[in-house]
Amino acid sequence: MKKLFAVVMFLILTLSSSSAMAAYPEKSLTAICPWGAGGGTDSCLRAFCQALEKQLGQTVIVDNKTGAGGVTGHEAIADAEPDGYTFGMVTFEFVTYHALEVSDYKSYLNYDPLCRLNADPAGITVNKAWAEKNGIKNLKDFIEYCKKHPGEVRMGGSSANSVWHIAGGYFMNVAGVELKMVTYPDGAASAVQAAAQGVDIEGVTVSLAEARSFIESGNLICLGLMAEERINNEVFGKIPTCKEQGINAFYATWRGLGLPNGVDASIRTKLADACRAAVKDADFIKYMTNAGLGIAYLDSAEFKAFLEQQEEKDVPAAMKAAGIEL
Amino acid sequence: MNWGLLFESYVNVFTSAQVIGMTLLGALGGILLGAVPGMTATMGVALLIPFSFGMDLIPSIGLLLGIYCGGMYGGSISAILIHAPGTPSAAATLLDGYPMCQKGQAGKALSIAMFSSFCGGVLGALIMTFLSPLVAQMAMKFTSAEMLMLAFFGLSVIVSISGKSIAKGLISAFFGLLLATVGQDPTYGAKRFVFGFRPLLSGFSFIPTLIGLFAIAEVIAGVERIISGEEKQQKSEEKITNVLPDFKTIKQIWLNIISGGIIGTFIGAIPGAGGDIAVFVSYGFNKSASKHPELWGTGIPNGVAATESANNGCSGGAMIPLLSLGVPGDAVTAVLLGAFIMKGIQPGPMMYVNELPTVYRVFAALMLANLAMLIVGCAGVRFFAKIVSVEKKMLYPIILVVSLLGAFSINKSIFDVGVCVLFGVIGYLMNKYEFPLSPILLALILGPMCEQNFVRFVDVNNGNFWEILNRPIAVGFFVVSVATILFSIYNQHKINRREAENRKKADNA
Repeated sequence: MKKLFAVVMFLILTLSSSSAMAAYPEKSLTAICPWGAGGGTDSCLRAFCQALEKQLGQTVIVDNKTGAGGVTGHEAIADAEPDGYTFGMVTFEFVTYHALEVSDYKSYLNYDPLCRLNADPAGITVNKAWAEKNGIKNLKDFIEYCKKHPGEVRMGGSSANSVWHIAGGYFMNVAGVELKMVTYPDGAASAVQAAAQGVDIEGVTVSLAEARSFIESGNLICLGLMAEERINNEVFGKIPTCKEQGINAFYATWRGLGLPNGVDASIRTKLADACRAAVKDADFIKYMTNAGLGIAYLDSAEFKAFLEQQEEKDVPAAMKAAGIEL
Repeated sequence: MNWGLLFESYVNVFTSAQVIGMTLLGALGGILLGAVPGMTATMGVALLIPFSFGMDLIPSIGLLLGIYCGGMYGGSISAILIHAPGTPSAAATLLDGYPMCQKGQAGKALSIAMFSSFCGGVLGALIMTFLSPLVAQMAMKFTSAEMLMLAFFGLSVIVSISGKSIAKGLISAFFGLLLATVGQDPTYGAKRFVFGFRPLLSGFSFIPTLIGLFAIAEVIAGVERIISGEEKQQKSEEKITNVLPDFKTIKQIWLNIISGGIIGTFIGAIPGAGGDIAVFVSYGFNKSASKHPELWGTGIPNGVAATESANNGCSGGAMIPLLSLGVPGDAVTAVLLGAFIMKGIQPGPMMYVNELPTVYRVFAALMLANLAMLIVGCAGVRFFAKIVSVEKKMLYPIILVVSLLGAFSINKSIFDVGVCVLFGVIGYLMNKYEFPLSPILLALILGPMCEQNFVRFVDVNNGNFWEILNRPIAVGFFVVSVATILFSIYNQHKINRREAENRKKADNA
């Protein structure tokens, strides 16, 4: 009798669990956003979730878990129940936490990377009047000027240890120059404002989307984009890449999705497939284009390799160059 | 200025049922969100953006601006009624609003707050319509040196909000400055007073601290009063016959409203400085300019008018750099920037060239939002004022729950709830020993701003602070700050002397 009972229980359990898998998702999902509601990452995630809802047929609720410079939210993703109903958006800062000793987690070990959605290259953008005064017309002139005046050119890079701050360090390594990096805890917007005024700093190392309105108004000029190719739209299409000018600089911020480790493989595949399809959603593409954000999809394996390369090699070197103590 | 187009845009916005409906809805939501401590207009705007995806630009902007303006006023409701500013921008409103409520004038305080909010908002919208490019150019001049001195100027108001003793006010302020240093230093990321405890890395969250200092402290004091039997049930004898202030009151406060609105608009236009700073500057300025500074803080309409007009002026001000330069003036306009971009419109100088009708419609929508706030507010005054007549034994537990929920909801962190309770106890003790609480708040807002900009200014000038003499706006603010400090000390002496004389007279009689 006991045996029979066990067999029946076993059958019930396997059947019910497999039917649960077949039915996934059978309730709404939660997407953790480590940054505040209304910011760039939040809007991007919300736009993506709308596309994802169409694929999954369930609502996806964005949950902003902010604080401690994004650490809280990123750790919450790793610590979430691995049932496939909670995932989160991870951002560039993710690969700096372990090195900065603010989190015990490593990006490519303590999470299950799902996919990368977006990447936005940094640019070397300077005050136009300053550039004209010093005869700087392109990236070569700029590098030459920096070599003649080591440590004198002041570049703004958003808040301390942020992606744009580190971008400055990366550029110093690649171009072999010395810049003075100035941090703006309020974010990139105030750095861009100061550069446009030509006071305090000469330029910024932020993305084009951040500097857009002042590039359009002619206060700032972007000398080189740290990407493989030019951006394909009418506003930014004229801006040359660093590569075109003989400097192999490739540096970007990125956003991706992550799961806690240990999610059932079939659920994971289903979610990953839904994400791959959602990236091609027309409304999502329209949103990203309007927001000036580039779609740069990487699948799970590629994303994991990318994270490891960033966390172990590229980013620590750039942080050292930017003068960040590790 | 294209008058025909401007007029056409106004007509267009004010005759569209969809825009009006959305704006009213936004104003209602904003007032309710603003009134709950811990829920802010920024949150409301951010949450509603996805819903506005499907709408046309102007109705969705109307909805968001409705929340923005409503939230600015809504914060004052809880500040006046339960001593808990619903938003940081309402923190100065309780200085006179709560004493008014205690005097049994809750309805009057609410109607003054609403009327001043409306006037301040309209003033801000007018300045935005007619002076945008000029104000934007001025606001852009504010980089490290100017921001440092603006923050210093803000701190100079401390004397004005210190209450009876300047020394105690300064003690509170320095305590606040010390608290502001907890966490990672904003410039280099060095860890200060963290002791390996990670939740402290980002310091004490501002809103839980604010809720603790004011709301929780008031609840503790209230419970103490109930236990000792001192608590008197406030009877709502006040009959609210008119939801708008009467002509006599308006005559008394119109100067405060205008100066508050202008101060709010200009401070709001500076990126990185917003309503929370503007209200204190406006309060300090209006108190100094008043003939009876001794009455400020005892519950006079002028105090409420000066602060509420300033924070709603801010909403117009913050829109100025957003539209003309593409630089958001505060957190809400940063979210709005995202809303514009989603519709494929990039705010900035090119918007005035390519999208002038849209720009004008946004001006009109802001005007409409202020009107909607007034309409919804009028309907609500009677209802809100009733809260005071709720039995205190019931009211305090409700305030406690709402406050703790609010503290939790900002970052969804239990640690923040602990912070809130801790500051509740600190606030209660400070109140008991007559240390003013507002200077702590001002120091928490301005301390980091001072520090960041000071460090950055010295950094970019290779350690030479005296470079600041080359920055006329900064020097100007410094001079004004010193003058403000001296004048308020003089004022305080005058107040103390008058009070001493009054006491003597009373003794003789």
